[in-house]
Amino acid sequence: MTVSPQIQRYPDSILAERAGYFPVPGAHLYTVLHEVKNPVARTLLVGPFASERHSSYLPWVRWARYLAAKGIEVLRYDYRGVGESTGLFEHMTLESWIDDVQLLSAWLRKRGEDVPLILHGLELGALLAARTFHNGEADGLILWSAPANANSLLRSTLQRWIGPQQLLKRENERKPASHYFRLLEGGKNVEVEGYEWSAELWRQSFSFGLPAAMMPPSDPTNAYKRPVRIVALGKNATPLVKGGVAGFEESKDFNWLFAPNYHWIASSFSIPVEAS
Amino acid sequence: MISDKVEMRELITLGGNGVLLRGTYHKAKGKVVNNANDSNKNIGVMFLNALFHPRAANADSAVYWADSFADRGYPSFRFDLPGLGDSYGDIPNDLLRFINDGGYAAITSYKLKELVHSFGLSGAVIFGHCAGATTAIYAASECKECKGLILMDPYFNLPKSLTSKLRPELVHWARRSKVGAVVRATYDRIREAPSALRKGALPANANFAFVSRWKKVVSNGLPILILKSPEPAALGSNRLRSGTFDYLGHIISFAVRSNQITIKTIEDTDHSFANRAGRVAVRQHTETWLGEYFPEANAGTPLLQNQGLQVQERNSVTLGAPAPAYVSTGE
Repeated sequence: MTVSPQIQRYPDSILAERAGYFPVPGAHLYTVLHEVKNPVARTLLVGPFASERHSSYLPWVRWARYLAAKGIEVLRYDYRGVGESTGLFEHMTLESWIDDVQLLSAWLRKRGEDVPLILHGLELGALLAARTFHNGEADGLILWSAPANANSLLRSTLQRWIGPQQLLKRENERKPASHYFRLLEGGKNVEVEGYEWSAELWRQSFSFGLPAAMMPPSDPTNAYKRPVRIVALGKNATPLVKGGVAGFEESKDFNWLFAPNYHWIASSFSIPVEAS
Repeated sequence: MISDKVEMRELITLGGNGVLLRGTYHKAKGKVVNNANDSNKNIGVMFLNALFHPRAANADSAVYWADSFADRGYPSFRFDLPGLGDSYGDIPNDLLRFINDGGYAAITSYKLKELVHSFGLSGAVIFGHCAGATTAIYAASECKECKGLILMDPYFNLPKSLTSKLRPELVHWARRSKVGAVVRATYDRIREAPSALRKGALPANANFAFVSRWKKVVSNGLPILILKSPEPAALGSNRLRSGTFDYLGHIISFAVRSNQITIKTIEDTDHSFANRAGRVAVRQHTETWLGEYFPEANAGTPLLQNQGLQVQERNSVTLGAPAPAYVSTGE
């Protein structure tokens, strides 16, 4: 068989990517450990909300491989009830997802306490990582596109979903976003982008925000005495963030984002760049 | 503490020919297939990525379907093709064009053979959605281990018709915005209209190489289930819709048996088929079809009932009564 230019033989480092199921109460989390011998640091990647998982997946995996190639061991995973993880999405709450971050970071820490542990969250994952870090976990924190709180994220997700739905429905069947907000506030579940949002998830989202010490104009690194990097990603970061053109941006070069974030890790934890 | 197996799922790799695919194996209820010499071999179901989506698919619907089919006795396998999901590789800038040109055909065909051999299957049915359906047709045309196809919203045209004549910013808008999606669909229909009037002639924007692969697959007698989502209501009038070239009618004309191609339209869903109504309807139609064409795998589990969901059928085209299992003789 002829292998096309895009379908290369895999390098040995790919064999060090170990997929598995991590047990948590009532479910198993799908995890991929990008294993590194004698790592200089370890990072737990906390990805975006369910419906964004798919579009951001490829650059997120490439970021994990980028870090692993630099000597930083990475663990990435799917939220409970999402993707390859087991559990029913409609039973999940923000509390169950933050438990997952704590359990995984503790597991990653136990692989060796001699190197720094960094939490890195994207979008909703940034809130989960920030709150876990706030509770004392980890030595460093990176946040990409952190929303002010989970409710603003859910609202924008639902509003974006409404548009295509309107195209599918006849005029007299179309409902505005406010209709669905009212249902959630009235205790009803609502299916958005194939995920059934529970009223409990919606209720929790209002009070699930960034810790005050991470909100401007605070200096979180000074407040926590541990390095914190907060990055607001623009439209040029699609499909890591919402938007973009499906099928045309997945191969995008993200070195402009990866390199400075890696250098920040290296400088914050005195990791010699040449050694990696 | 971390295991590669949980309940009825197992994380697997296919590493033949220097290309490592990562995937998830959903074990068939009541029978685990892992012995190539097993005399009572099963038909498996192999899921392909839909464009850039990881193997779980939109809203994790492929996980739901694979669990369901495995529960009915059909071991199911979801893989990430090279460069997608967890599988290594670079993808081209224009992934859609790569797929439309059959870029994943050879590797899919190779890996299907590897899967069938490794898991002692009698063959496999390929499950492809949208761009995944394109790869499924290309692969099936060169792989005798493929015993059937389940295709969701297959398309037959190339998406370049509108874009080549417009300014880049307009192209960007047309691709990005929801209104742009309707404009694109409308434009394609208008372009196809003259061909629709010339009976039998393919429109200028047809993917001719792909249509010829369709012909080959259909002419070989492979059973095919096609699941369609409804047209967006925003496209409006029947007059506009009637401008669409009848590709499925064209394909059906090459069928060697009256019951070879089954077409179902699922209402109350969208192109993703990922909402509850879409998922359940896809599951129902597929399980019924698998039971009719590959009854040997039936685990005795009753078919999923409607569960009170409103799942309507429109343009349901099953030509004649279903026949027993079809076994491909290959090429």
